[in-house]
Amino acid sequence: MSISELLTEYGDKYVQALFTTWQLTAVSFLLALLIGIVITVMRISPVLPLRMAADFYVQIFRNIPGAALLILLVYALPYLNVVLSYYMCVLIATTLIPSAFCSEYLIAGMNTIGPGQIEAARSLGMTFLQIIRNVILPQAVRSSVLPMTNLLVATMLTTALASQVPLNPRDLTGIVSYINTHAVGGVTAFVISAALYAGTAVLIGQLGSLLDRKVRILR
Amino acid sequence: MKQTQNESHTAVIELRHVDKFFGSLHVLKDISLSVQKGEVLVIIGPSGSGKSTLCRTINRLEGIDAGEIIIDGVPMPEEGKELANLRAQIGMVFQSFNLFSHRTILDNVCLAPMDVLKVPRKEAREKALSLLERVGVQDQAHKVPAQLSGGQQQRVAIARALAMNPKAILFDEPTSALDPEMIGEVLDVMTELAREGMTMVIVTHEMNFAKNVADRVIFMDAGSILEEGKPEDFFAAPKTQRARDFLGKL
Ligand SMILES: Nc1ncnc2c1ncn2[C@@H]1O[C@H](COP(=O)(O)OP(=O)(O)OP(=O)(O)O)[C@@H](O)[C@H]1O
Ligand SMILES: [Mg+2]
Repeated sequence: MSISELLTEYGDKYVQALFTTWQLTAVSFLLALLIGIVITVMRISPVLPLRMAADFYVQIFRNIPGAALLILLVYALPYLNVVLSYYMCVLIATTLIPSAFCSEYLIAGMNTIGPGQIEAARSLGMTFLQIIRNVILPQAVRSSVLPMTNLLVATMLTTALASQVPLNPRDLTGIVSYINTHAVGGVTAFVISAALYAGTAVLIGQLGSLLDRKVRILR
Repeated sequence: MKQTQNESHTAVIELRHVDKFFGSLHVLKDISLSVQKGEVLVIIGPSGSGKSTLCRTINRLEGIDAGEIIIDGVPMPEEGKELANLRAQIGMVFQSFNLFSHRTILDNVCLAPMDVLKVPRKEAREKALSLLERVGVQDQAHKVPAQLSGGQQQRVAIARALAMNPKAILFDEPTSALDPEMIGEVLDVMTELAREGMTMVIVTHEMNFAKNVADRVIFMDAGSILEEGKPEDFFAAPKTQRARDFLGKL
């Protein structure tokens, strides 16, 4: 089938798939940011066990392949009497992995803050959490907009894991297998999905550099 | 050498037999010292003698290995909320200004009063603006630190310390990072503060400023206080050879 034939036949399915991918990406990324921030605060906390646990977390999820994590969630968790929906399994996998990278980028962002500013904050009587909130996190976040933009794109690509489980509605990768089991879409069916992924990535990149220019800290 | 009495009730800052090591390096050796309310104490001494370390131990940016530090009658706690509370009472001005680079000048001055002392926003802003006016940078209130000159940034740092209504302010070489033409504007603000009765501990190499503003000078060398006295006595007739050498080199 040609691209135009595919689009007439499956156009609405592609749109639905695009939204599924976007939704999965947005939810995963927001959760990853939240978890990443908490993990990062633990990693710089004065409490050694917290630091160790958080470092361990990052090592694990930064290094585990997404497919392996998804398989564990789908097939291993039931042995622990935890049965999650396929959607939840995908969401967890596409959240935990980016959360580890998010923490790495935040730590890198923190390294741009002069140690003197932390000392100034301490000398003003701020507690650890006040320093985190007023000085460290805002600067770390604002100076890691570009890596976070890349992370958002990477998160979107990771959501292709959703195609490995039965999900309804399907995501942009899942729709390709669906079409190919119902018609002879061939590689063309994939080209459409690839174009939608790429278009989204370019959009994210543009918005990311706009945001970066807006919040960049003058030093 | 005349040691100031330790048991005075008006001492804002008091150190009793403080020792501090960096590894095996003995940086502060049995330092006892007290600073009275309204007093301006200037610390001078050669590089590496422990002046910054002494300054930093006073609000526990550096811990100590022995001795006691008492702020307005209250022993400095080890850490936690109480330490933060006591630190809030002692201002500190650093060589490299250390303003918060992501916040405006106004926010730099308001932030701690609002978050640490829970001063309402409106009140904090009004006070910050009047402090910025006092140090002569009110026109810069809505810029960020990187847009200001070094002299302006340091004056903002002084305003930021003042905004906490501190019982004393520590200055660690506040003019050493400044271009020569900006040193005067910062020293003027400090002179004004001294005149108004602020308790100040100042590490500086500006000897004229020390002569004019200090109530008392201490001379440190290799982690010890070698000499201590009124500036007119100390600068005219230093008692130790080390101090004579040091002053001779300037
Ligand atoms: N964090 C640190 N770790 C190890 N040694 C340190 C540390 N900070 C300072 N020192 C050492 O302690 C000694 C005293 O340092 P300090 O900075 O207090 O001297 P200073 O009198 O302020 O000197 P300067 O006039 O150069 O600022 C020096 O020998 C210095 O090398
Ligand atoms: Mg020093």
